[in-house]
Amino acid sequence: MSLTHLNSRGEAHMVDVADKAETRREAVAGGRIHMRAKTLALLAEGGMPKGDVLATARIAGIQAAKRTSELIPLCHALALSKISVDFTLNEADASVDVTATCRLNGRTGVEMEALTAVSVACLTLYDMCKAVDKDMSIEGIRLLSKTGGKSGDYQRSLDANRAVGASSMQPDVSAEEAPASRGGLLDIAPIVTGKCFTGSASVSLGEERTSVSVKCLAELRERLGVSDINVPFTALLEPTVGGLKSALEQQDERFALLREQRVLCAVNQVMSAEDTLLTAGDEVAFFPPVTGG
Amino acid sequence: MIKVQTQPFDVGEEHGALLAQRTDIGAVVCFTGLVRDFNESPEVQSLSLEHYPGMTEQALADIVVEAERRWKLQGVRLIHRVGRLEPGDPIVLVAVASAHRRNAFEACDFIMDYLKTQAPFWKKEHTTGGHYWVSERDSDKQDAKRWEMS
Repeated sequence: MSLTHLNSRGEAHMVDVADKAETRREAVAGGRIHMRAKTLALLAEGGMPKGDVLATARIAGIQAAKRTSELIPLCHALALSKISVDFTLNEADASVDVTATCRLNGRTGVEMEALTAVSVACLTLYDMCKAVDKDMSIEGIRLLSKTGGKSGDYQRSLDANRAVGASSMQPDVSAEEAPASRGGLLDIAPIVTGKCFTGSASVSLGEERTSVSVKCLAELRERLGVSDINVPFTALLEPTVGGLKSALEQQDERFALLREQRVLCAVNQVMSAEDTLLTAGDEVAFFPPVTGG
Repeated sequence: MIKVQTQPFDVGEEHGALLAQRTDIGAVVCFTGLVRDFNESPEVQSLSLEHYPGMTEQALADIVVEAERRWKLQGVRLIHRVGRLEPGDPIVLVAVASAHRRNAFEACDFIMDYLKTQAPFWKKEHTTGGHYWVSERDSDKQDAKRWEMS
């Protein structure tokens, strides 16, 4: 393995990509900004002094991706065909997850563009919120996945994710963009509450028919730190809600919480019991007693 | 008419919509639920309401169908808000029309009791001292039990 930006004399140089084949390239990067709970609440309700925080940060991220070659010395200037920046607000640990996807048909990868988009979107979030919170911290900026090109596809493994911090979850990638990304058992999607329903596709097309999609809602989601998780249907010793609970518990002991008597369950959005039968593709939600009205 | 929405509603407008072009209605009962500034703790500053999109609408529709099965009704409008709310904000509206008042009173009462125990909404209260999820009340369960048919 060698560093492509250094030549044989160890000098920095720009890689000549003229002879590389054009392939479809895509990269997804993520990052997270932690803030005070109050700051997040203010952000969610649009009460920041500088105005619409997320819209501004999104545009900043997109603009930054386009100018990556001006910032990173040996990066090529690329005509990206797609740049998207998405945010997920995590009420549980007062943070915002930022994900950026960049794509083009070309001769060089777009991970630097995706990473730049995330970085600048995070910085813009900081700038937009700093009047009310100077303790914010930006962390875990990293490449989540990359497809196309000679070096092959890359998918961040869950262990690599964990290294970022105990609470770090893999920001969600929409189904059509990264079909290969939903392999892990503990495939934790970000938490979505209140009115911030952005970027939250949780199931990929291929897996839909072979797994059960589990949602944890409200207080239960916060206690478990898990919002969405896919469980392969084959992991269920018994095709029932009870069997699903056992399979989840096997994966992670935290799920023992689901055994509490007050925890309710809905299968395909209909209230269900422990012995309700499940089939692959079902949506199973666990939640505490309801408190509306 | 059943709606789950973040924006506020106007009781007068909903009342009017229920009556529009109708002369067969003899009674309308409207219930509005509001955010209190005290609940589990004394200084509630705001409330966030989470729900389970999809199941919520279905659960509310089932409750209204059941009310229509039990009482002769001439119209129901049910609105529940979600998202962030502040003390004094309206959360829920149940407006029931019928030919005679008893049906409207009872059906409205029934819908609220079932909504509180069956529809997937969860409240989180934000106070000066932090936030917490509101816990379920036994009295709500008892209230819903009144309607169980033997």
